[in-house]
Amino acid sequence: MDYQLSSDQVKLEQDIAAFCSAEIAPRAAKLERSPAREKDALMRDNLKRLGRAGWLAAGHGPDGMDLVTLYLVGEATARACPATFISMRASTFLCAGAIRLFGTKAQKDRCLTGLLSGETVGALAYSEDQAGTDMAGITATAREDHGTWLLSGTKDIVVNAPMADLFLVLAWHDRPAGPDSGMSLFLVEKKAEGLSVGHRVETMGLKGAPLASVTLDGCASAGILGDVPGQGLGQMKRLMAMGAVGMAALSVGIGMACMEISTAHAKARMAFGRKIGMFQDVGFKLADMFAYNDLGRMLALRAAWGFNTGDREADVLASCAKLFAGEAATKIVNWGMQIFAGHGYLAGTDMERLYRDAKFGEICERTSEMLRQEISQQELDRFVTA
Amino acid sequence: MDFTLTQEQKLFRETVYRYGRDEVAPLCEEADLRGEFSFEIWNRLASFGIFGLPFPEELGGSGADIVTCCLAGEALGHAGVDGGSLLAWGAHTYLCAHNIFTFGTDEQKKNYVPKLASGEWIGCMGLTEPGSGSDAASMRATALRKGDRYILNGTKTFITNAPVSDVYVVFANVDRARKHEGITAFIVEKGTPGLSTSTPFHKMGCKCSATSEVIMEDCEVPETNVLGGEGKGWIIALSGVEWDRCTLLSPMLGAALFNLDACARYANERHQFNRPIRSFQAIQHRIADMKVFIEAARLAIYRVASAKDRGQMLNPLQAAVSKVYAGDRGFEMASEAVQVFGGYGFMHEYPVERNFRDSKLAAIGGGTSDIMRMIVSRIMMM
Repeated sequence: MDYQLSSDQVKLEQDIAAFCSAEIAPRAAKLERSPAREKDALMRDNLKRLGRAGWLAAGHGPDGMDLVTLYLVGEATARACPATFISMRASTFLCAGAIRLFGTKAQKDRCLTGLLSGETVGALAYSEDQAGTDMAGITATAREDHGTWLLSGTKDIVVNAPMADLFLVLAWHDRPAGPDSGMSLFLVEKKAEGLSVGHRVETMGLKGAPLASVTLDGCASAGILGDVPGQGLGQMKRLMAMGAVGMAALSVGIGMACMEISTAHAKARMAFGRKIGMFQDVGFKLADMFAYNDLGRMLALRAAWGFNTGDREADVLASCAKLFAGEAATKIVNWGMQIFAGHGYLAGTDMERLYRDAKFGEICERTSEMLRQEISQQELDRFVTA
Repeated sequence: MDFTLTQEQKLFRETVYRYGRDEVAPLCEEADLRGEFSFEIWNRLASFGIFGLPFPEELGGSGADIVTCCLAGEALGHAGVDGGSLLAWGAHTYLCAHNIFTFGTDEQKKNYVPKLASGEWIGCMGLTEPGSGSDAASMRATALRKGDRYILNGTKTFITNAPVSDVYVVFANVDRARKHEGITAFIVEKGTPGLSTSTPFHKMGCKCSATSEVIMEDCEVPETNVLGGEGKGWIIALSGVEWDRCTLLSPMLGAALFNLDACARYANERHQFNRPIRSFQAIQHRIADMKVFIEAARLAIYRVASAKDRGQMLNPLQAAVSKVYAGDRGFEMASEAVQVFGGYGFMHEYPVERNFRDSKLAAIGGGTSDIMRMIVSRIMMM
């Protein structure tokens, strides 16, 4: 048993942290406040920077992904700029990762180089107006016409949609077959006729990450992911299970960023002749921030290691990590706001931005409520009576 | 990074779990109700070799690593052995016997460790006083040197195992002006003139461990009973913290596993409104929270244990996280377990009631949660 990162992993952690504090963090506030067009240009540039330095491809190997590496890179990126992480993750994990895991050799050869260098941007379009975690509730359909799958439907909240070059789209190709074999993920290129991206959606937090709806109107797809129809739901479930590690990376990254600025403030701000951090009300909040970040990170790394080693518990551990870290982050930003008080409530401050960003971790890709339900089923099923 | 247990460790955990469930746990309900130390439980734990786990074979132990010691605590708690009996074990093995093993002379080790490892003798450690808890350096107990002997005076309180102990490791100051540098540890045997214990306290939880004051009135011990050298007591006392943050917390993790099993089983069996209560989300969500707590606490506790096995210095931040989380969140989760059982959970015959009372100790003993937060915040403010 050895809970420590290897020296290579520690080095990687230091390198990505140094890169992010030089290249990504200084632009986080500007990214959020710029007009939409500039935002997208800045985000594309952030992804290119990360790509050129090799960080988008980190953890991607010919046979799969090293989730410990993905977690470490993700946490550091989220710590520097949560919106950049969300955009990066949509492209390199949700899109490129799915292609890595389930794509044919030809699909990998065609798509991955661009996505993992930051030259192209990817997105995953699955949720709809009436369907999120309950993916069988989607209505988008695909029909085959002379060997080409034509897609129709609307996907409502798609990260990266305004700037994506490649979409993975979940749709029914055979509704009577039911969700387990009637759904597939389709590759769709931006230039495909019949694809239109809606207006940019404004969000409460993570404002630097571009979101929009995607409408498909008889749009020709570039093929089924993995070439075999009917795998869509299974692929999505696998992707979401592993993706919980990435969502935990977002939350811990936000928690770490908040702890860092809160600690600095607690040391600098004086009241009644003392640094405010010396009052227990403030100091204990810092301690709780530390504990929650530390535990969330450990849970996420444990789950990531589990995926890397084929641990059967990996899925539920990843759900535990996302649930814990997601709720920890919203508590942490709440404490941080109390420590900054009026100075954190001012628009444009890092504290205020993190406060809004954190909430996403409890919502995206299975709410805390959905996670609790899933985690509990496994425990309850151990004692089913006849 | 490697989170796996060896095959041997897994097998050991399973063996301890079965033994605890079949041979020890059935005795706990009644012993807890009586609120007394149970020699029968003690003897059953002893005959399994639990007390000698961390000591080398030549001193009557089995040379187990710390992770294995934690697995034993976890397995026994999981099996339904009460927190008091496991606390008695912890105070005995880690705070008394292991301190003698680590800091004692060859003579002291030979005299005490084998008898403590077998459980023939029971041991305790006396640090806390009526006026000093977390601020242990302010203790008032004194040790006055007289020739080749020391005269001990003072009162220790909340001493686990004191009423039933054969061997006491007590701390006293040889010169209070020197503050913590004067603190010295002594081995005192039962029956030494001037050594007595008060009537055992009635406690809220962990009732199968006997707790009382240790009173020293002109209690004379030979200088050969000094443990680790004059003025070294503070270092010995601090070293106990390392054990507290892993081995002494592992039974709390075990109790949470017991509660999770009990609640999941009950939620399947219990029907209300024509459906098993497991179908209600309010029940499901409590089960999920327990699972998350268990996984996080497990990582925190075993991280301390495995670092100790690898000979690393205790990381005070990691140690504090382990204590504060297992303590505070563990108590909340034990409360939720009672809630799942409703009225039955309030009844003594359901172990979730006992686990609820027992679990509070983790937020208090060996440094309160507040002290843990103080340690972390001070490091952060440096």
